[in-house]
Amino acid sequence: MKLTLKIKAAALIGAVSTVALMSGCSMNPSASLNGMKGDGHEYLLTVTRPNQLHVIDTETKQVIRSCDVPGVFGQGTVEPSPDGRIAYVGTNKWEDVAGFDITNCEMVFFAKQSDNNVTVKSFVSLAVSRDGKELYTIQNPTRKLTDRYEVMQPQLAVYDTSAGLDAKPIRTFPVDRQITKIMAMDTGEVILGGNDLQAINPQNGEIRMLSKLQHWDRPGDKWVQPDAFAMHSLGEHVDEFIMPYFTIKWNGDPGDMEKAEFWWGMSRVDLKTGEVEQTETVPFEFIVFNFITDPADSNILYGAFNTLSKHDIREQKTLAVHNMDHTYYNLNMTQDRTIYVGGTSSDISIHDPETLEKIGSIQLPGDMSTSAMRIAYLK
Amino acid sequence: MNNNKSKHALLSVSALALMGTMLTPAASWAKDGETVIQENCLSCHTRTGNPETPFSRISEQRKTPEGWQMTLQRMQHWNGLALSPEDTQAVIKYLSDTQGLAPSETAPFRYVLEQQPNVVEDADPAYAEMCARCHSNARFGLQRRTENEWKELVNTHMAIHPTTELHALARDRRWYDIALNETAPKLATDYAFNDAAWKQWQKMAKPALEGSWSVAGFLPGKGDYSAILKAVKTSADKYSVTMSGHYSDGSELHGSGSANVFSGYEWRAGLTVDGVSMRQVLAASADGSSLTGRMYQSAHDEIGGELKAVSGNAIVGLSPAALKQGETSQVTIFGGYLKGNVNLGPGVKVVKVLSRDADRVVVEAKASAAATVGMRDVAVGATKAKAQLAVYDKVAAVQVFPPQSMARIGGNGGKIPKMQSTYRAVAFSAGADGQPGTDDDMRLGYMPASWSLKPQNEVAAEDRDVEFAGTIDSQGIFTPGDTGLNPQRKMSTNNVGMLKVVASVRDGDNTVEGESDLLVAVPSYIKRAIQ
Repeated sequence: MKLTLKIKAAALIGAVSTVALMSGCSMNPSASLNGMKGDGHEYLLTVTRPNQLHVIDTETKQVIRSCDVPGVFGQGTVEPSPDGRIAYVGTNKWEDVAGFDITNCEMVFFAKQSDNNVTVKSFVSLAVSRDGKELYTIQNPTRKLTDRYEVMQPQLAVYDTSAGLDAKPIRTFPVDRQITKIMAMDTGEVILGGNDLQAINPQNGEIRMLSKLQHWDRPGDKWVQPDAFAMHSLGEHVDEFIMPYFTIKWNGDPGDMEKAEFWWGMSRVDLKTGEVEQTETVPFEFIVFNFITDPADSNILYGAFNTLSKHDIREQKTLAVHNMDHTYYNLNMTQDRTIYVGGTSSDISIHDPETLEKIGSIQLPGDMSTSAMRIAYLK
Repeated sequence: MNNNKSKHALLSVSALALMGTMLTPAASWAKDGETVIQENCLSCHTRTGNPETPFSRISEQRKTPEGWQMTLQRMQHWNGLALSPEDTQAVIKYLSDTQGLAPSETAPFRYVLEQQPNVVEDADPAYAEMCARCHSNARFGLQRRTENEWKELVNTHMAIHPTTELHALARDRRWYDIALNETAPKLATDYAFNDAAWKQWQKMAKPALEGSWSVAGFLPGKGDYSAILKAVKTSADKYSVTMSGHYSDGSELHGSGSANVFSGYEWRAGLTVDGVSMRQVLAASADGSSLTGRMYQSAHDEIGGELKAVSGNAIVGLSPAALKQGETSQVTIFGGYLKGNVNLGPGVKVVKVLSRDADRVVVEAKASAAATVGMRDVAVGATKAKAQLAVYDKVAAVQVFPPQSMARIGGNGGKIPKMQSTYRAVAFSAGADGQPGTDDDMRLGYMPASWSLKPQNEVAAEDRDVEFAGTIDSQGIFTPGDTGLNPQRKMSTNNVGMLKVVASVRDGDNTVEGESDLLVAVPSYIKRAIQ
């Protein structure tokens, strides 16, 4: 594991110097970035109540900028652009999307999705194409008629990220209900995570199945339909989409809890190749809200809720458990494998990946609640 | 609107509405409800042209008064309806009378109208996960809709609470499809709009409720009481109400207020009883001979107890309801205008009559050591009641009522008060087989107990829940801890906990214990007329 790390670090340094060499003669990067570091420097992005986007330098562990987001707090969904420059934030109770230049808090994109008597909600669903040119949401519209409501077909909405502050969808395609977190792949497709894992081609709306969850083929007398908790988009640190689920394996009659096995599982997609892996990971021993993959070893997962835990999914074993100071929902990891645990309250707890011991903390001005905690690699 | 603001708004409006809408004493129903509907509701609802169901949506639903009250609150919050309190009353009255529920339709779910806490429901599996994971079974069990209306209700859920289909027990299935195409048709069959019970009830002569009633009831912290309730009609379905009587410790009870009657039998009264604002939710029997239900504190609906009223002269209860063989004890017979000799049955001697009031007779009674174990009929003069007094050999078992309960942390400077929970100990003798817990056990009624708490399980012990979650007093009233983070607790968690409530009942030289489960939970931020 250590060897892998060293190789990774060396590769990273190599990449950094190449970029520096290439960009060094044309302009002063730190001036254009308003004092922030480029070359893939990692900035942690999150949202707190009442409604502020925070930009945190993972090197200094300091909040370097807080941007006011218009509208009331939604869910705190954040999606960084591939160049790390723009942070798209879901706001106004899941209805609007605002994009901010994280170097100066300037709002460069805004999409108001609801219109007249049609209310559009986008739950978690916010993704940017791998070239940064398009933004995707899943719209769940309902129309208010004079004395009743009409439930309309959900759709993928495609926006041009250069559309400015009155962005309208340039294409829409019908999709299933219950889709929450989405992510773009190098194939050009967008992963639709929710009832199942599907991939939609945002050019023509063609949908293919990636990984069945609600419609999985396992016999009902052997397995319980998985409960996939899809509330936080994660995985940018290893270029993957990860959807944890919980299921029960009946070894006796269905409902016989004595003989049953309780399992965490996951559907994991490689964003570069679209390759899908669906597997039970570790026995269910305590609640985990979110899992992330170790950048140095894809068999190692970390999970957070009341505990921070480390799991080897090849061995199906829990390697370490650390009791947290309070409940957290969310976690993420920088390339140096430092773990950041956040959500619920107003602090981000920083942990060592080997011992899981707490090694630092970042205090925020408001509660993160259900907010995302994403990493922007600023170029 | 900000989430918190809307929650607080809902909370205060619903509390106001409860007091304002249902309890405001008014001389008469201000305006005809149908006129108010025509003047205020038809900007959105339409005339269907069908005389059977004249107004879109409205005419294809039947509800309790509380159900209609909630509908009007939603119309105010969501759709900008503005109605005066008088007009709101008129609409609730009109719709409850013309599109209400028959007594047989409300019978299975009266506990929710009575705000009775700690009822554990047994919902049909088809509803348990689709509806009852958020609502009480009573919430939808007290509505009658056409199939189309049940479907419209599903659509309303999707628009107003769009994350419904993403919750646990929803995201693992096609929630919307199931709700629309399976649950709604089943609801339309189980809780049908067109039901013979309501049509029949509408045709029947409604019970007359004016007059004097013999009342027995219970209030936590006060104990058993008896009273004479007098209802004087002030206008159609409106009464002025007085209550006068005694608690079982001899102290006096006085109350007055007013009552409205909906759907011909739904008695809703607001009274001030000994300085405390109280509410009565009672159902009149079809023949008008009794009113049964619950009386509770308006500001703390968990603090209340059953109330039974029988028209005119009657024996309605005994306190205590059991005498041990060889025991001499004071026994209070609850009932109105009881005259004549007191007879407590074979083997029980009335040593002397201690006092007689309009609402009760207090006697000193002695059960002979040889008195047979069993129930006794009781008579005062010509007034008789069956199986009122138990003569027993020993207390074999004690059950704590309610067997499962919940209290909620609160207070501590926050907007939501603590929600207490209250307990009573029910004693049993073993019956002929000598074994408690079998069919032949004899219920001895409620008995005084000393109360204590213990952890419900290992986790509760480890987390020291008993230390933090609350305290129970000598009356069996549990007061939960303060709301908010508690740095003394693991993970600074709040003062929630899992406890067991233990009642110890003295029986001669023995002590018999019973226990029940108590969950001390977080505050409930939204208070609805029907939870």
